[in-house]
Amino acid sequence: MSIYDDWETVIGLEIHTELNTKSKLFSSAPNRFGDEPNTNISEVCTGQPGALPVLNKEAVKKAVQFGCAIDATIAKFSKFDRKSYFYPDSPRNFQITQFEQPIVLGGTIIAEVNGKEQSFAVNRVHLEDDAGMLKHFKAFAGVDYNRAGVPLIEIVSEPCMHTAEEAIAYALAVKAILQYLDVSDCNMEEGSLRVDANISVRLKGETGLRNKIEIKNMNSFTNMGMAIQSEIKRQIHEYMNHPNKPINEVIKQATYRFDPELGQTVLMRSKEQADDYRYFPEPDLVPIILTDAYINEIRSQLPELPLQRERRYVNDLGLPPHNAFVLTLDKKLADYFEEALKVCPHARNLCNWIIVEFAGRFKDTGKSLLTSNIPNLHIAKLVNMIEKGTITGKIGKTVADEMVANPTKDPEEIVKENPDFTPVSDLAEIGALVDKVLAENPQSIIDFKAGRDKAFGFLVGQVMKLSRGKASPKIVNDLINKKIQ
Amino acid sequence: MANLDKETIKNLTKLCRIDCSEEEQLNLLQDLKKILDYIDQLDEVDTETVEPCYHVLDNVSNVTREDIVGETMPREVFLALAPSHAGGLIKVPPVMK
Amino acid sequence: MHNFSAIEIRDKFLKGEISAVSIVESFLNRIATYDKEIGSFLEVFNERALKKAKELDAKLGKGEKLGKLAGITIAIKDNIHVKGEITTCASKFLTNYKAPFDSTAVKLLELEDAIIIGKTNLDEFAMGSSTENSALQVTKNPWDLKCVPGGSSGGSAAAVAARLCSISLGSDTGGSVRQPAAFCGIVGFKPTYGRISRYGLVAYGSSLDQIGPLATNARDAALVMEVLGTHCDKDSTSLPLGSDDYLNQMNSIKGLRIGVPQDFLKNLSEEPKKIFYEALETLKSLGCTIVDIDLNILKYSIATYYILATAEASTNLARFDGVRYGVRSAKAKTLNEVYDLSKEEGYGKEVKRRILLGTYVLSSGYAHAYYKKAQKVRTLIVECYKKAFEMCDLIATPVSPFAAFEIGSIKDPIQMYLEDIYTIPINLAGLPAISIPDGFSKSGKPMGLQLIGPQKGDVRVLAAAYAFEQAKPEFTAIPKL
Repeated sequence: MSIYDDWETVIGLEIHTELNTKSKLFSSAPNRFGDEPNTNISEVCTGQPGALPVLNKEAVKKAVQFGCAIDATIAKFSKFDRKSYFYPDSPRNFQITQFEQPIVLGGTIIAEVNGKEQSFAVNRVHLEDDAGMLKHFKAFAGVDYNRAGVPLIEIVSEPCMHTAEEAIAYALAVKAILQYLDVSDCNMEEGSLRVDANISVRLKGETGLRNKIEIKNMNSFTNMGMAIQSEIKRQIHEYMNHPNKPINEVIKQATYRFDPELGQTVLMRSKEQADDYRYFPEPDLVPIILTDAYINEIRSQLPELPLQRERRYVNDLGLPPHNAFVLTLDKKLADYFEEALKVCPHARNLCNWIIVEFAGRFKDTGKSLLTSNIPNLHIAKLVNMIEKGTITGKIGKTVADEMVANPTKDPEEIVKENPDFTPVSDLAEIGALVDKVLAENPQSIIDFKAGRDKAFGFLVGQVMKLSRGKASPKIVNDLINKKIQ
Repeated sequence: MANLDKETIKNLTKLCRIDCSEEEQLNLLQDLKKILDYIDQLDEVDTETVEPCYHVLDNVSNVTREDIVGETMPREVFLALAPSHAGGLIKVPPVMK
Repeated sequence: MHNFSAIEIRDKFLKGEISAVSIVESFLNRIATYDKEIGSFLEVFNERALKKAKELDAKLGKGEKLGKLAGITIAIKDNIHVKGEITTCASKFLTNYKAPFDSTAVKLLELEDAIIIGKTNLDEFAMGSSTENSALQVTKNPWDLKCVPGGSSGGSAAAVAARLCSISLGSDTGGSVRQPAAFCGIVGFKPTYGRISRYGLVAYGSSLDQIGPLATNARDAALVMEVLGTHCDKDSTSLPLGSDDYLNQMNSIKGLRIGVPQDFLKNLSEEPKKIFYEALETLKSLGCTIVDIDLNILKYSIATYYILATAEASTNLARFDGVRYGVRSAKAKTLNEVYDLSKEEGYGKEVKRRILLGTYVLSSGYAHAYYKKAQKVRTLIVECYKKAFEMCDLIATPVSPFAAFEIGSIKDPIQMYLEDIYTIPINLAGLPAISIPDGFSKSGKPMGLQLIGPQKGDVRVLAAAYAFEQAKPEFTAIPKL
């Protein structure tokens, strides 16, 4: 029982994704990250007077692709609106967005939370242009407009998540879909994927929603988890510490950012009144009218999506659903796995080695299996050796350690260099050990013959111990079987 | 009916970021009151079943361009227009983070 | 030189009768002589124009093909970009803004070998009906130097009226090409919305703005339309049509039905009423029939216009914050001061008024009552015209309820707005319309007849103007300077 048990959390996520088009949304300047400041600009995206926006058709296509991928309704009629606010990173001091009539409505994200499949509702997805970047120095701030005008889709969920785990699972699932569709680089560190969370708490059983806090600047999924946890606690403590204050004054709408050093959320700015963005239809652009033919063509040409791949792995390869989810969450990893599968048909084992054994070895190192340069073919070889019986699973782990230390080393080479790794398959040698064990454990033979299978395992274990793990388990099994009869 | 008072004008100037002296704000208040009074005559028009006019031309939609990189604005030209710049960035006074 | 039309000058040049340099020198001379008094030009491109003239003479000498506008001097309203030259929009805020790109309109003119001779004065950011709101200088009406030339394209109108150049470009959001044309006794044409690209025109009311030619006669205006009236892929609101052959379609208007909103005009004062009805008689003599039409919804057009135009303008002008270009206040030490002071020092009264009004009508709590309502009334206005055009081919009204007024005589903003009652509705409906001189007031000031066509009816409007002009050549006159 904790003080938090009486409370429940309501979370909604707004995910801003930069689309990976070649040019910007309304300007034909290049859409690229990392170049010298103010070198990817044009008259349009720097807000020069007299410049006008023209819509990038590829951005529309990518937005529709995403909408189809989440089974949303693609709006046949959508349009753009001006959203007014003053900030130096905004070239016109208004953003062109879709407020009244967005291009995608509704939709579902299916994610795995704590081993179970869960469905989350999306409210809408719309197109808008990104702002430039403000760099803060001591005596001044500098603005780089390279990013200004880059196409974004904003994916707004319903307030349907209740825990940090759910929020992370949802966000990871969204990222996977974006990645599989190849509509975005989805790089949180580079800012092509930005997640804002809206969080409020309430007593269990309450029906209305209390004031929510917006959390921004969470630049990794780990930080996101920490931010949400810390914010939930903070809000609950506030309510509990001010039992006599009117509820809507305890937590007032505000924007917080996550401070990774403090490990908690910090106030950025309070919203005394809601911002008045003065939305109205963008007069320089005309509406988007989409036909069934256009939408159906996009839908029919969608690549395999993460959920479809997961289902395929479960149904065709016999992978356990959880493993399939983990594997398919990152397209690159699933591709890595599938290529290895071509030469190693042992799907379950291969999967396990990738997502458990090797992944575990890279945890907290700042690297991952994919960035380590270990070729998938090598993992395939390793698994093949184990399945064949060339080495035991236990030895396999040692080989894996060696592979991590020397990423380009072929496991077959490693085994060759370590004759110890290969289990003894000399029938005579093992036979002698088996005879010894059987002689020393007559009771176990009796137990096994009486139907206790565990006794057999005990005998195998004893032989393995005697051989210091070097005997081939298969041969041990066979010999014991033979000799007991 | 417009609910225009000194406070409204003050808030409006903040919203559109135009600094005005007290005297100017008062003049603007008078002017805007007059104009809004005149504009109120639109209340007489029955628009119950009327669609808003988003575009004055009929049948305009789907004006798009190919996803091709076009002419960019050279950085020197852009910075030359700026009142203040440094290190390739447009310079403004420090912003509260 | 200045007595010839633009087409006549071009033809003389092409025949080798006069050199381009002599054309330009002649006009530059007139500017130097008369513009000190009139004040139509903010900047004269002495070197640039002469350079172009020399190039044209050389091209002609070599027998190379020349464009439709070869040898024609054109002045550009200073809210339309000429690359490399300053675009001030007659505002203190932009006195240092060198246009980094050409407007499509100027590009097209230069491709046809026009000679851009300078930038003309306007009401600041095109907001006004008299050019009195210019923060930079005063422009006077060449017909009566005590009076305004009209606005906001007052400089462009005065320059053509005084024959300081052959043609000028203006912009028209609520009458800003037609009304100064009427006040200055010349032809001013506003095309169908979207007919001429707005790329490079500093936006005021985006859904209402159009660039339009001002000329001494209808055929010159039509020639400019042939060059400028074509699709532009940098402007999403540009009509998907190529250019039209106007000059070969200036046909007789016999049999055309001219719609006149008698009821709507009933409050016209005596003098303009007399001149207008005489103009109708002229149209009748050309074989037209006059039809009475109902345009009474138009009495709401000023209110509708001021909500929509200022709303759009308030956001269009938000970019002038002193961050990326323009004049930043030297006093600004914080970011807030950069925003607030640059505008406080940069903007004139009328601009501030309209921005505040535009911000108000969009603000939460009011947007529905004002902005949304105005959009609906706009639909009614568009439909009203559509219905009227079922019964007539063109609509005729006066351009303005009166002739040019004295500088400084109208101080009440609403009174100023009400002047545009006949021109504003046309922008709301996106229709093509022209102002042609149709008489003089008792005090000798010009007045204009407005002919309006249905959307995309630009050719016929110009044809009708030409026919009227041929019937009444005495109204094409040059003021005594």
